[in-house]
Amino acid sequence: MEALAKIVVKAAEAAADPAAAKNEAAAASAGFAYGLAAIGPGIGIGYIVGKAVEAMARQPEAAGMVRTTMFLGIAFTEALALIGFVVFILLKFA
Amino acid sequence: MIALEFPPINEILRWKDLFESFNKISIIAVLAATIGTVVFLLAGRQSAKTAPRGIRNIAESTVEFIENGVVMQTMGRDGLGWTPFLLSLFTFIYLCNVPGIIPFLQMPATARMALPAALALMVWVVYNGAGIKHQGFGGYFKSVLFPPGVPKALYILVTPIEFISAIIVRPFSLAVRLFANMLAGHILLVTFALLTESLFQAKDKILIPFGVLPMGMLIFLTGFEVLVAFLQAYIFTILTAVYIGGAVHPEH
Amino acid sequence: MLTAIVTRSGEAAVSVRLVQTDSATPTEVVVSAETEETVLPTEAEPMMMSAEPVSDAVPTEASEEVPVAAEARALSAETGTVEVVDAGPNPIAPEGKELMWTFGPFLIFLILMRYFLFPRLRKGMDSRYESIRSDHDGADAAKADARAEVAKYDTALAGVRAEAAQRIDAARQTLDQERQRAIAEVNARIAAKKAEAEAAANAERAAAQAQVSAAVTSVTSTVASLALGKTADAGVVSQAVSEAMQNAGSRS
Repeated sequence: MEALAKIVVKAAEAAADPAAAKNEAAAASAGFAYGLAAIGPGIGIGYIVGKAVEAMARQPEAAGMVRTTMFLGIAFTEALALIGFVVFILLKFA
Repeated sequence: MIALEFPPINEILRWKDLFESFNKISIIAVLAATIGTVVFLLAGRQSAKTAPRGIRNIAESTVEFIENGVVMQTMGRDGLGWTPFLLSLFTFIYLCNVPGIIPFLQMPATARMALPAALALMVWVVYNGAGIKHQGFGGYFKSVLFPPGVPKALYILVTPIEFISAIIVRPFSLAVRLFANMLAGHILLVTFALLTESLFQAKDKILIPFGVLPMGMLIFLTGFEVLVAFLQAYIFTILTAVYIGGAVHPEH
Repeated sequence: MLTAIVTRSGEAAVSVRLVQTDSATPTEVVVSAETEETVLPTEAEPMMMSAEPVSDAVPTEASEEVPVAAEARALSAETGTVEVVDAGPNPIAPEGKELMWTFGPFLIFLILMRYFLFPRLRKGMDSRYESIRSDHDGADAAKADARAEVAKYDTALAGVRAEAAQRIDAARQTLDQERQRAIAEVNARIAAKKAEAEAAANAERAAAQAQVSAAVTSVTSTVASLALGKTADAGVVSQAVSEAMQNAGSRS
């Protein structure tokens, strides 16, 4: 409750200064931005790796190829989460 | 409570110049190039007749990793000519990532946008150049912008997407992937290090033993960063190989 | 209570942040130097900075920065809440000097790798692989030679065996012949002796028969003369005796 009160006080203080208000809003939304950006890629990477493990278990002789492809897929999926992270940095510090 | 103040982001990322325009990032980049050169130079000096040992073993297994793990998997036998480029890319990125966990350096050079951006720009030039060289200017752009096997009417939709993805998004995501991974790792390490320090130096004596928890996490994350440093160098290299392979041999 | 936190980082000369820690005395500015290293005496650092600009920053920039910071300090002293965050570029924007310091070492490394380090290492590896392969081939040839040798030995062995078997057969044959001959000789001798003994036995039997028939004839003629009263013809008697004897011989 104390923390909430502090936030309210801060918001009230910030309302006086638009620039500070913008900073506050950006800092608060930065966390949301990253959290939301991490959901999709998290599911996606889990799915990719799970499928890759399945494929490797079914055909161990193709494991090398599957692993390479898995890393490629992870890289492409992960890029989305990382762009979310960059947005986080931009919102928080820029 | 403990007084924990996270420093401003630039304080953990930017460094004073030692002399004009030469800061810690530059030191790491120069060191990476130097160490890479020295390793391969010493490896080349050793006798090739006997079984490789020590530094030659490291260099040869790196070469074989690039050849078997990257080139053969993505471009096949024709792509073996690209090995030196991919090898130096991999070595350089790895040696720039690894200082993030080396004591006293404690800064991955790739956590600054400049280094990944420069490398991604270079890769962009190389794969586009290779495509133009192999297929001619018109042929290359035709294969990139008008992928075969798509109904004619869909080109209105496909061409702009392909243009954006192949010309703009690729180098951007290549750079951002490396940069953001290393930056995130660095920030994580800084966070846990700060937490450990402030717990160990807490005024309230009862808090001091709890400093072991973030310290354990710090050690675990340091180990994790070893993996990330390798993995990101590998992914950057293999994506480069995929892009070059796609530009040189477009799927018909 | 206001605490001024002065930090130096990167190109920016200084950053001054005024943190309000106690709202009871909002206007009183207290320079606290006891807690952390980041909390520095407010005056000493900017003085030093203005006297000696940071080496990377262009002098004009540095001289601009200091008044800005000073102004901010003045401003913050009045309001108490304004925060002047460290200037310096966005953490995501690549910096020119770092780009330059990436391109330089990497290009040098790439060129060295492409034209000098990699070919040398690769040549060594290839020659070793070649020697290993030739050793392999040599080993194969030696193996084939050994196989041929073994085959030759086998045929020789078979020849010797055949010869031995032949000799044994021959010896056995000779032995057999010898034995046959000896047996035949002995048989012949036995047969001769038998024949001799038979001839003697026959002669004696004939002599005995003659004596018997003479005796029988005389007896018969005597009997006949007694019975008939006259002398019987000798010829008829001998003939009848011999007939009767023959009948008895054939009957017995």
